[in-house]
Amino acid sequence: MDFISATFVVFVTLLSAVYFITPQKAKWCILLLGSYIFYMASSVKLLFFLIFTTAVTFICGLILGNINEKQKVYLKEHKSELTREEKKSLKSRTSKKKRWIVAAAVFINLGLLIFLKYFNFIGGNLNSLFASMGIGGHIPHLNLLLPLGISFYTLQSIAYIVDLYRGKYQADRNFFKFSLFMSFFPQIVQGPIARYDHLAHQLYEPHKFDYQRVTQGVQLILWGFMKKLLLADRLAVAVNYVFDNPDPHEGFVLFFAAAGYGLQVYADFSGGMDVARGVAQILGIDLALNFERPYFALSIEEFWRRWHITLGGWMRDYVFYPLSLSKGFANLGKWTRKIFGNYIGKKLPTFLSMFIVFLLVGVWHGSSWKYVAYGIWNGTIIVSSILLEPFYEKFLKKCRINTECFSWRFFQMMRTFVLCSFGRFFSRGISCMTALNMMKRTVVNPNPWVFFDGSFLNLGLDYKDFYVIFIFILVLLTVGVMQEKGIRVREKIAEQNLYFRWLLYIGAVAVVLIFGHYGSGYSASEFVYQQF
Amino acid sequence: MREQLLDILNDLRPDVEFEKEKKLIDDGVLDSFDIVSLVSELNSEFDVEINVMDLEPENFNTVEAMLELIVKMQEEG
Repeated sequence: MDFISATFVVFVTLLSAVYFITPQKAKWCILLLGSYIFYMASSVKLLFFLIFTTAVTFICGLILGNINEKQKVYLKEHKSELTREEKKSLKSRTSKKKRWIVAAAVFINLGLLIFLKYFNFIGGNLNSLFASMGIGGHIPHLNLLLPLGISFYTLQSIAYIVDLYRGKYQADRNFFKFSLFMSFFPQIVQGPIARYDHLAHQLYEPHKFDYQRVTQGVQLILWGFMKKLLLADRLAVAVNYVFDNPDPHEGFVLFFAAAGYGLQVYADFSGGMDVARGVAQILGIDLALNFERPYFALSIEEFWRRWHITLGGWMRDYVFYPLSLSKGFANLGKWTRKIFGNYIGKKLPTFLSMFIVFLLVGVWHGSSWKYVAYGIWNGTIIVSSILLEPFYEKFLKKCRINTECFSWRFFQMMRTFVLCSFGRFFSRGISCMTALNMMKRTVVNPNPWVFFDGSFLNLGLDYKDFYVIFIFILVLLTVGVMQEKGIRVREKIAEQNLYFRWLLYIGAVAVVLIFGHYGSGYSASEFVYQQF
Repeated sequence: MREQLLDILNDLRPDVEFEKEKKLIDDGVLDSFDIVSLVSELNSEFDVEINVMDLEPENFNTVEAMLELIVKMQEEG
C-alpha cells in the first residue's frame, strides 16, 4: 500500500476512526492490527522476516533485561558487603555475559539483512575475484526479495538490544506490544528509525481525539504530498532521462540532473517523512524529526546532521562513538601521535571512525560499488575540511574576508549544495565509472549555452513543468527561511481565521490534484527510500 | 576541578561561552567530534573511564553536568 494513494488515505481515515472509538486499554491493539494489515497489503510472504526479527529481538531483550534486573537486585541486597573492586568485577562479569547475547542478536538480525541485501553483490565480486585468480567455483546468484522496511527495522532492533546492554531502560515484557514498536505502519516503510525510549510508550499509551493535532497532522500530510507529487516525481522525469542515457548530454545539463536528483530525493524522502509524521500526529504520536532543512547547511558535515537525522544519530551512537572511544582506537591514536605528531595523531582515530560511518551509510543505500564511492566522497570531504580548517582560517584572515555576513554564509551554502550535488553522480549514476565520467564532463565542458538553446526542454519536461518546479522550490525556500528564523508555520496557520484556513486546505488539495505529476492510471511513483 | 574542566573546554572550543550554555548537546553546540576529543581529555586528565554508555546528552549539556559525571566516575573508581 503506497503512502501516496487513495487506498492509504481511506486506510488512515478508517484506522483513526476505529482507534478513537476503541476503549482506552485496547487502543494499542488497533495500531498493531493496522500495522500488520498495512504490511500484509504490501507483502504477505515477507511478513515472516519481520516476525522473525521481532521474535529474536524480543527474546534477546528479555534475557538482557533479566540479567540487568538480577544484577541490580544483587547489588542492592549486598550494597554494604561488597567492596568497590568486587562491584566492578561483578559488573565486568555481567557485561561479558551480556555481550554474548548482543552478539547473537546482532549476528542474526544484521546477518539476515546482509544476506538478503548483499549476498548477490558479495557473491558477484567474489566470482570475479576467483575468475581473475584462475580459481574454480562459482557462487550462484539467488533470487532474493528484500522485505519491506528491513533496513529500517533491523537498525531499530539493534538500537534496542544495545541500549538494553547499556542498561538504558528495562526490557519490554509484552511480545505483542513490542511487535507494535517494531512494525508501526507510518514508519516501517522508510523510517524515521525510532528509539524504543522515545516511541514505545507513545504507542502503548491511549490517545484521545485532539482536533488541533488532527488538523496539524493533515497539514503535514498535504505538505508531504505536495513535495512528492509537485517536485520529486516531476524532477524524476528529467533526472531519469539524463542518467539513463548520459552520453548525449553535457555540462550544466549533467549538473542539473545531479542537483535535480538531490532535490528529488529530498522532496521524495522528506515528503514521505511528512506523511509518516502527519499520520502519527493524527493518532497522537510524535515521530522523530528526520530532516531539518539540509539545503540551508553551511558545510557537508552540517548537511549530514540535517539529512536523515535518525540514521545519522544511529550511526553516531552505535558505530561512531563505540569505535572512536574503543581501546583499539585509543591505542591507534597513541601510536599515530608518535609518528605524525599531536594534531594528526589526536584526530586520526576520530577520522577513521567517521570514514567507516560514511562507508556504512553509503553501503546501507544499496549493494553496489557506486555507494561505496558515495561514502568515500562524503567521508573525504568532511575529514579533509576538518584537517584543513586551520589553513582556511589563516587564509580568510590574510585575505580579510568577513565571515560574519550574509554573503559569506550564502557562499558556504552554495558551496555545500555544489559538493552535495556532485556526490549525487555516484548515488544515481548507473555505475561508479559512469558517475566519474559524468563528473569529468561537467567540469571539463560546462557549456553554459545549454541554458539558451532549449536543451532543458528536451529532458521530458515542458516549460510548464519547470514553472511548477521553480515556484514550488520558491515556496520550499520561503517556508525554510521562516522555520530557520524559528517561526512555526503550522501554528501560524492555526492562528488564522476559519475561512482562511479552509481556503488554504482546499487550495492545497487542488494544487496537489491539478499540478501533481502522476504516472499511468494517476498513480504516484514509489518512494526512493522504500526500496531500502 | 571546575577550573581544570573549563581549561579543557576552552582549549577544545574557544568560541563557546561554556558558563552560559545550558544545552551544549541539545542545541548542537558540541558535535560528535568535540565529544570524542572531550571524553579522551577528561579520561586522561581526571583519571576516569567515561565510556560510550555515559554519552547521554544530559551528562554533557552543561559544565555542572560534566562535573557531576566526573565526580560520579571518580567515586565509582
